[in-house]
Amino acid sequence: MRKFAASTALTAIAMMVGASAAHADFWSDAGKAYEGVTIRGVSESTPPSNYVKDVLAPAFTEATGIKVEFEATSWDQMYDKAIKDMEANTGIYDFVYIEQDIVYSYLSRDFLVDLTKALADNPDLKAPTFNFDEFTSFIDYFKNDDGDVFGVPMEAFVKIYLYRKDLFGDQEAKDAFKAKYGYDLAPATTHQQYKDIADFFTQWGKDHDMELWGTTVQAHSGHPASWYEFFESWGPTFGVYNWGIDASNNYAASVANGGSMNGPKAKEALAYWLDLLNDAPPEATQSTWDEVAATFAAGRAAQGLVYGENAAWIAADDTKSNVVGNVGVALPPLSDGVMAEVEGGTGYIGYYDGGAFGIPHSSKNKEATLLFLQYIGQDEVQPGWAIAAPRITHTATYADPDVMKMDAELDGYYTLLKDKGPLFAGAPPYPFHAQVREATAPFFYEAIIGQLTADEALDKMAEAAEAELTKLGYRK
Amino acid sequence: MNSQKTGWLLLAPTLVILFIFGVVPFLYVLVTSFVHWNAFAADPTPHFAGVDNYRQLVFDDQFIFSIWQTARFAFFVVLSELVLGYMLARLMLSDFPFKGLFRTIHALPLMVAPIAVGATWRLLTVPGLGPLPYFLDTFFGYDYRIGSFADQAFFTTVVMDIWHWTPLVTLTLLAALSSLPKEPFEQAQIDGASRFQIFWYVTLPFLRPAILATVFIRMMDALRTVDEIWMLTGGGPAATTRYIGLYIWRVVFPKTDYGYGAAVSLVTLFLTIVLCWLLYVGLVARRGQKSVN
Amino acid sequence: MFKPRRGINLLFWCGASLVTLFPIYWMFVISAKSRAELFGRPSFILDSIYWQNYIETLNNPTFQKYMFNSIVVATSNSFLVTTLALMATYALSRFPLVGKENIFFWTITNRMAPPAVFLLPLFLLYTQAFSIGEWRLYDTRLGLILLYCVFNLPFAIWILRNIIDGIPKELDEAALVDGASLWQVMTRIILPLARPGLAVTAILTWVFAWNEYLFAATLTSVDARTITTGLAEFVTVTGTNWGLMAATAMLTLLPALIFLGLVQKHIVAGLTFGAVKG
Repeated sequence: MRKFAASTALTAIAMMVGASAAHADFWSDAGKAYEGVTIRGVSESTPPSNYVKDVLAPAFTEATGIKVEFEATSWDQMYDKAIKDMEANTGIYDFVYIEQDIVYSYLSRDFLVDLTKALADNPDLKAPTFNFDEFTSFIDYFKNDDGDVFGVPMEAFVKIYLYRKDLFGDQEAKDAFKAKYGYDLAPATTHQQYKDIADFFTQWGKDHDMELWGTTVQAHSGHPASWYEFFESWGPTFGVYNWGIDASNNYAASVANGGSMNGPKAKEALAYWLDLLNDAPPEATQSTWDEVAATFAAGRAAQGLVYGENAAWIAADDTKSNVVGNVGVALPPLSDGVMAEVEGGTGYIGYYDGGAFGIPHSSKNKEATLLFLQYIGQDEVQPGWAIAAPRITHTATYADPDVMKMDAELDGYYTLLKDKGPLFAGAPPYPFHAQVREATAPFFYEAIIGQLTADEALDKMAEAAEAELTKLGYRK
Repeated sequence: MNSQKTGWLLLAPTLVILFIFGVVPFLYVLVTSFVHWNAFAADPTPHFAGVDNYRQLVFDDQFIFSIWQTARFAFFVVLSELVLGYMLARLMLSDFPFKGLFRTIHALPLMVAPIAVGATWRLLTVPGLGPLPYFLDTFFGYDYRIGSFADQAFFTTVVMDIWHWTPLVTLTLLAALSSLPKEPFEQAQIDGASRFQIFWYVTLPFLRPAILATVFIRMMDALRTVDEIWMLTGGGPAATTRYIGLYIWRVVFPKTDYGYGAAVSLVTLFLTIVLCWLLYVGLVARRGQKSVN
Repeated sequence: MFKPRRGINLLFWCGASLVTLFPIYWMFVISAKSRAELFGRPSFILDSIYWQNYIETLNNPTFQKYMFNSIVVATSNSFLVTTLALMATYALSRFPLVGKENIFFWTITNRMAPPAVFLLPLFLLYTQAFSIGEWRLYDTRLGLILLYCVFNLPFAIWILRNIIDGIPKELDEAALVDGASLWQVMTRIILPLARPGLAVTAILTWVFAWNEYLFAATLTSVDARTITTGLAEFVTVTGTNWGLMAATAMLTLLPALIFLGLVQKHIVAGLTFGAVKG
């Protein structure tokens, strides 16, 4: 089905653009000045990017005469290459993929073109069908302090709670659970419930000779994915926000200096998370986001927190997943008081994740690229894109009939994204994202394999974070 | 002298290429090692730091632990590959059918890109998917999880490396064994030397330069292994397999700490050179003496 | 006629080959399964072969281009390196050059450097120093061919040095006295005698160039990307496509095998020259 959608989408878009004469005029008129120009971008080869490469870029070339080249790389390589290019001012890339959590690093170095300003300064280049207001709240995570936009969102997801509807609905399991814990088996809303369910299904798997465990844990002992699972997903549900670093207080991380990275909430959260490993399948300590999704899709876990970009294929694509039709989505379990903090504007319940395309200052074809970014940011190309590669960046996309049909297949994932998306947040606005992550992660890995306790690890991490921040010159 | 000129001319292209692509970047790295420079520091411009980066490195537990683990790794893999590779090269010379086929099969692992080697071994070792944990558990009741148990992960990287690179040792030693002169062996047999005596007094001295070259190559490659390990364990669990190449990779790429990364790289390079120089002088000096006699 | 030693040898090599082939066979098993079939009890027997991964890879124009680049880069580099190394080792072996033992040792230090930190200067060199007008060494096959010399030349020189040293000096001196040119000495005397060594050098330098990842990933963009960088593209946040990756890896074995087959007969041919000495 996916394939069919991708191949017909090209014709559909060509027809759509052709059908409305005014738009067609704009693209071909605006493109005239840049005919024969080739713009080049770098991105990961994920379904949303591939849709741009295979469908939107050719349609854009047809409309404007501007050619688009994509360089696909692995996740680690992408940053390195984009940063080298922008730092050395080489001009290899005309647009770069900006994962939401790196944008503040790029902004701090003034690597990116201010898109709001560029469009205001060049009214000739402003497409009538492009408008920043049509985007969901996710675009807020690509703005600077003045509210100017630096990246056109091309994918957005939330890391959500997935559970197995078939297991949760199994009468025998329901009865056994009720008998043991005294309350009804349902998607967890508190950490205790989540742990009870995890314990229960781990035992259930043993008793029934099934390859089944209570929960996925993204606990790779040598890859930052595990660090992210803790600080982006589990930490906030315990009330640990922004990695426990207080930006307003001289970037303090340790409790002694006013931070909360090694505070009681963080310690409780880490101890809880490490304890979940006992209910996780044996591959958990080798699992990045990738294996977590594969584990869940293989039917080896009853519940788990899974990145939204994977939720759709797990729920609906039977060439990749063994649990099609049995996937339920819900919000992650929370500690008391977290929801109040979210409503008060100081907290969030998980990671609003995604990426955008931006134009580096080093680009030599900024105008042509600006046209391209507007082209892929039009409202009318969104539904086809959402169906081919489940991501939503525009508010109007939710109401599209095909998208709504898909939403039903995905147990209301899109509805949840629409209604509850604002409860989630992008990464904290730190320009030192990867630096502090790498400085603290070694201790985190040691905690995973039991060389450090949760308390020891967090104490060391807070110390290491402050040392790194001092070295970088942010902490005075 | 004319022969001097001809000799230098023959050597010139090699020296020019190594200078442009080897020495020039080296000089850049050397200068970088004396600056504080992080692309995402509060002040991202390079500043002269004196020997600060080098001073910092002496107190860096993670760096020292990485060096130690790398040394252990290199020691185990080089020794195993040398012994195994020599035995296989000798056996390759003996008589058996389908020799060409077996030689090709034996060389196959070399043809797999390190990054694919790492991926393959990951697929062999991931519980739930890979056969190794499954069979070890079913037949021996052994809990094999390289994400959780440090010793298992270390051992697995060693085995993977032996699997991947022993053929290289076999091939180079095979080339050397193939060009051994026959007379000394015939003479030794006539003199009634035992097999061990022949090996020790005839084969080994002839092979010494080839063995030295092979050990060098394998050692320096083992010391800077990155791709396979990155794919298999990512350096985990914790720091167990974060060998020095991976450690540097983390400092330079995600942490963008160019100055410190340069200092760490140069110290690593220096240690490698010293290690090789000691081996070289120890073994080549003896060879030199003999040729004088 | 039955020879027990032959039988024992054969048995040994069968066993050794099983160990060697085991991971490669597993790679094939992965490549012949759909993503949904990957998990579950591991089994070595495939009920049915899922060809989709191979079809998709072979029909992908990007794959074809990457493969072509890899073949060009590895073969050119192997040829260049073997030739230059033969010249260099001949010079080191036969000519009384000042400080030649130091030069010899110095060459190998070029292979020792941990590569990660050298990428930044190389990137600047390729994008800024070596650029004439629109043309840059960055993202060209030539750039990779030259760069791979840095780790392959030292290797080749160290392997060939022993072999050239092992060829008696008297042979080429006699030829030179008879009025042969240096070129003739090289092609008529050194080349045939050094054949096994040259073949092994060619194979291994080809393999190193074929398998290199980090430099290729950083110093190419679209035009000159090699197949190893293509393998890494399958590792993404939305799930590594193990089946496609394994299929690609299996397919990359083929050119390597062909090259090995072409060159390997020279190793065997070399065996007969063992007795020339003295």
